[in-house]
Amino acid sequence: MSTDPYAALGLTKTATADDIKKAYRKIAKVSHPDLNPDDTTAEARFKAAQAAYDLLKDPEQRARFDRGEIDASGQEQAQRSYYRDYAEQPGNPYRSRGGRAGFGGDPGGAQGFEGDFGDASDIFAEFMRRQQGSGGRAGGQRGWQTEFSAPGQDRHYALEVSFLDAIFGARSEITLPDGGAIAVQIPAGTRDGQVIRLRGKGAPGFGDGPPGDALITLSVRPHELFERDGDDIRITLPITLDEAVLGGKVEAPTIEGPVNLTVPKGASSGQVLRLRGRGVKRRGSDQRGDQFVELSIRSPRTIDDELAAFMESWRKTNGYNPRGGMTS
Amino acid sequence: MSGFLTEDDVLERVAPLTRVQLATFVEAEVVTPMESPDGPVFRRMDVVRMELLCELTETYALEPDALGVVMGLVDQLHGVRAELRAVLEALEAESDETRLRVVEVLKVSRAG
Repeated sequence: MSTDPYAALGLTKTATADDIKKAYRKIAKVSHPDLNPDDTTAEARFKAAQAAYDLLKDPEQRARFDRGEIDASGQEQAQRSYYRDYAEQPGNPYRSRGGRAGFGGDPGGAQGFEGDFGDASDIFAEFMRRQQGSGGRAGGQRGWQTEFSAPGQDRHYALEVSFLDAIFGARSEITLPDGGAIAVQIPAGTRDGQVIRLRGKGAPGFGDGPPGDALITLSVRPHELFERDGDDIRITLPITLDEAVLGGKVEAPTIEGPVNLTVPKGASSGQVLRLRGRGVKRRGSDQRGDQFVELSIRSPRTIDDELAAFMESWRKTNGYNPRGGMTS
Repeated sequence: MSGFLTEDDVLERVAPLTRVQLATFVEAEVVTPMESPDGPVFRRMDVVRMELLCELTETYALEPDALGVVMGLVDQLHGVRAELRAVLEALEAESDETRLRVVEVLKVSRAG
């Protein structure tokens, strides 16, 4: 990033406050990463201009910078993410609207057409409908109708699910403000942030229009032991000093209950063992991810004289240096 | 408490955003809170979306209606991009012969 905020805006120190604002707006217009998702340099230009503008728009700060009291980098923003990082996620609820309301209709036509294509735009939805030969309209002809009819609005709900319910699937429900409830089937293998679309569970339609949908965003609560990494599960397993030295079988928790795990002789903290097929079932397949167990050696709570004496004498003849090359 | 953010969380994270402006965004339907037992909540996606909304408001002095039009187009663009990517990924998995045929068709349609 440029260290000269004036240069980042294409200006010099003599620029007026108005010049600075104009220059920033100009760059922001042509370089905003969300408006230029394909331009990889847009973000760098935008960030530089934004940091420069943040510094120079305040006359007092600008004067301090000009006097050399603060440097440009002091004003840089922390790592930020942009909407484009999220915008293409499947199930982005903002993607599926807009094009839905309108004249003319598709009475019933769209109903035979479930969930999976929920956020596909018309062109793709039409293509998929034809390929599946679901008895839809021939050739994608739209009927013309004179009365206004439109689908009802979508309703948006937030639902928290437990870590294990997200993995194995579960039934849940959403309580509506009017006291009613919607039953929700949480699919097995649900990921944090996943959106479930329930057809026709939104607001009623206008005219002949079908009701809107209920879009339910799921948030998976973290687990105290397990961490999920895609289809894999990660866990840190404490072992004793003697188990580390001698190796042996120890009990390790998995998402389906404890299993026996063989710790190799001479295990170290940080060593990762794999329990194959003990992870999350992949959606639409019988395959499962793995569980990765990171070992963590815990010394005994008190070091008795016998152990200390043994270590003292052992060290004399068997000393080793695991930090070789780190400090030289 | 959870992966969802309350209105106060959002106001804390999106520095330039005021409570009044947030209400304007919701009213204009450019951001949609979700209903939950704890009242309206937002996703992380909504936070970065509101950063974009604040920047569009500041940079272009957009009124709520115009903001709705712009965001509708931005969302359509991202939607089409995601679908195009999915189609390309599906094509990648096809045979060389199929892919070449598609390329030929695309060449013709591009040439008009």
